[in-house]
Amino acid sequence: MTTNGAAEQVGRFTLDNGLRLVTAPASTGQVASVNLWYDVGSRHEVPGRTGFAHLFEHLMFQGSGNVTKAEHFDLVERLGGDINASTSTDRTNYYETVPTHALDLILWLEADRLATLREGMTQEVLDNQRDVVKNERRQRYDNQPYGTALERILRLAYPEGHPYHHPTIGSMADLDAADLDYVKSFHELHYGPDNCVLTVVSDLEPQDVLARVEKYFGPIPARSTVPEIPDPSLTTPLAGPVRDDVTETVPAPGVFLGFRVPAYGERGFDVMHLASAVLGQGQGSRLYRSLVVDRQIAADDGGAAADVLPFRYTDSLLLVNMLAREGVDGQELESAMREEVFRLAEGVSETELERARAVLERDHLQSISSPAGLADALSSCTQLFGDPELAHTWPRRWADITAEEVQAAAESLLVEANSLVVRFDPEPATVAASQS
Amino acid sequence: MPQTRPDLGAPASYTFPKPQRITVGGGTVVAIDVPGQHLASLRLVHPYGGAVEPLDAMGVNALTSEVLEDGPQGNSSLAPALERHGAEWTSRVTWDGFITGLDVPANRLAQAVPLFADAVRRPALKPDDIVRRREQLLERFWLEAASASTLAMRSLGGQLFTGRYATPLAGGPVRLADVTPEKVAAFHAESVAAVAGTLVVVGDLSDVDLQELGRTVFGDAGSAPVRDLTDPAPPPGELPRVLVVDRPGSVQSALVVAHRAPARSQVELSRAEGISDVLGGMFTSRLNMELRERLGYTYGAGSRFDLRRDSGLFFMVTQVEADTTAHSVTASLGQMATLRDSGVSSDELEAVRESNTVGLPVSYSTARSMASALVDMVVHDLPDDYVDQHRAGYEQLTEESLNSAATEYLRPEEAIVVVVGDAERLRGPLTAAEIGPVEVREPESLWS
Repeated sequence: MTTNGAAEQVGRFTLDNGLRLVTAPASTGQVASVNLWYDVGSRHEVPGRTGFAHLFEHLMFQGSGNVTKAEHFDLVERLGGDINASTSTDRTNYYETVPTHALDLILWLEADRLATLREGMTQEVLDNQRDVVKNERRQRYDNQPYGTALERILRLAYPEGHPYHHPTIGSMADLDAADLDYVKSFHELHYGPDNCVLTVVSDLEPQDVLARVEKYFGPIPARSTVPEIPDPSLTTPLAGPVRDDVTETVPAPGVFLGFRVPAYGERGFDVMHLASAVLGQGQGSRLYRSLVVDRQIAADDGGAAADVLPFRYTDSLLLVNMLAREGVDGQELESAMREEVFRLAEGVSETELERARAVLERDHLQSISSPAGLADALSSCTQLFGDPELAHTWPRRWADITAEEVQAAAESLLVEANSLVVRFDPEPATVAASQS
Repeated sequence: MPQTRPDLGAPASYTFPKPQRITVGGGTVVAIDVPGQHLASLRLVHPYGGAVEPLDAMGVNALTSEVLEDGPQGNSSLAPALERHGAEWTSRVTWDGFITGLDVPANRLAQAVPLFADAVRRPALKPDDIVRRREQLLERFWLEAASASTLAMRSLGGQLFTGRYATPLAGGPVRLADVTPEKVAAFHAESVAAVAGTLVVVGDLSDVDLQELGRTVFGDAGSAPVRDLTDPAPPPGELPRVLVVDRPGSVQSALVVAHRAPARSQVELSRAEGISDVLGGMFTSRLNMELRERLGYTYGAGSRFDLRRDSGLFFMVTQVEADTTAHSVTASLGQMATLRDSGVSSDELEAVRESNTVGLPVSYSTARSMASALVDMVVHDLPDDYVDQHRAGYEQLTEESLNSAATEYLRPEEAIVVVVGDAERLRGPLTAAEIGPVEVREPESLWS
């Protein structure tokens, strides 16, 4: 079901300058999805420069040598296309989906900002986008209930100075400190064809796509220096339980549990991914059945209480999050969640595993069902694992994981000593005031 | 950069796939075969949604939609049963439709669809499940409304309409409590179980028997009764005016600037959406370029129409740094007024025309998006070639037709401004901005 021969239709090429190109057919016609993964994320940031990879992503839309500010967005929108970008710990991606006739234009736009961004960058543009990013931070983190949860989780999970200790959005102070020279040196250091995977999903022949990519990207030289990457290794265990108790304006107590698990790509990660689905993905999951339906102490999240946060170059995190029902205090919810998570070490049934596999497989299939989603998965698997076919065959990784393996992993990883807790409790005074 | 900018060639002509339409018993199956699309989208559309709910059962559509997830055995048994087939249940209530469905691997349709049909036609509707779901929904209202932008959108209905639209679609934080298990059962029996509806299916259908699918889903249910819809009156109050919903300590304010609009069937959609696109439908639209790209007040700003069968509204939304709130409101209203007074540029006309015509292959590149277009056609009684007709509407746009749309459809003088933010900090600047009377309310006082 998950291949249908699709993996065999993936084309792989490497240009002389090191750019890796992946091609694949789209399931509907007249459309081309272009997706670029640059191997630069917040893990490459140094102290005092947090948030820079993401701020930089914004600047990539602000004009380059031959493109004016906002013109990139304008051109794609005029084509009725989709366009955006995102930054994570491990990479920055840029993507466009357009009608096929516009593929050359998109390749040219991407090549232009790769080759000449520094020529279009001005202090005015930097100041404006710094304000935009600060408002993004307010909107997503500071003005949202529980918005700072991820930031707090990372702070607990990874030691000071570790490249995963801070979130990609960065701090307001570091954003303020960004200067034009650093912007330009960041581009020079990280943005080269040799640091990029480019995927094109379309109805064009692979050789045709290759010729077009060669034309626009071929002349761009590889980087002359390769940056030093902050060391992501972890030398000490979590020494849990570690916790961060927060009292602020939230509508209900919220509990976030975290556990260090193996890095994305390792079999141990897949085992814990499956474990997270048993615990908290879907309405057949344990946390949903137990705390939402039976005991009715957690808010109905539709079955989305647990997941894994995949990090390729350091320990990933298994996260469990639930909000309390009215009249239920944070401690009661937290205890019930911990109890349910720790109970996984007592074993899982084959039926539970089958359901978990089906849920993960469905989500995977859903994620690659659009040309843009498929392109992103192909870029991801190429950059992180050097194997684009994994985008199609990934569900096979769950097929032979046994109940014993899940139990053994739970016994060693889902334990107090490897746990962190971030708990939000409402301010008592706020509750009283809002009822007056 | 050795290469010069490539010229865009002519786009290939695009035609939305013609759906296959078959009548099965009391219902209709509308299907599009997309060879190679192995994830099928199936949607069952029951006509009418929240708009026709009686005022003593507001939210009954939403609650019933939730309770169906308890399945024929009750106790949240549906999703786990579907999950085993890799199928995902989806349900959505709008003002004009009650929509249920599955996203499912096409080769599992035969196993999953009988479960789906049972879930829709023969749910357990246990009173305990209904009460549990209702209490969860009531609590979820405030959990979700803790987000400033959600609270702002939910506050809007009562400012623009009387009657059903004044209360949020899911019944709000108060009136939903009146929806008893008996009301849910009665609504389900009359409006869901007994009504066949229209079944939309999109995906690789090479091995799918559509007749059989229709028989399984429709059973012996009949066709839908015809119901009257009336345009609800506005509430009293001076226009424009400002409602501040107090959210102490907010570092940003969520803004919605809105006014009433005609029903969907009463507007020329390409002109209305076209003028909204110029103002706020795209990244490069005037609102975003002003508030985000020039002033740096926000992460993003936009606008759109929400057009229903009997009425509609137009709104602009953004979230801005608290201290820029008043200026953001006047700047937004200013952008609307300028557009109406000075009209669109030839460049904007071209952008609107192109973005809504050449991009159709992108818009319809998944089973879900094609299914969504078919659902829209069913809900609004649109013809099978609607997507192509709509595109033709955009192709015919001129500066004059967009400018007349601006005067016809944009009404800053009738605007309601909802601001969710720190009232103590905002009242002064908003009053000084002289937009209109400024009223401050606590969120809990908005619904009774």
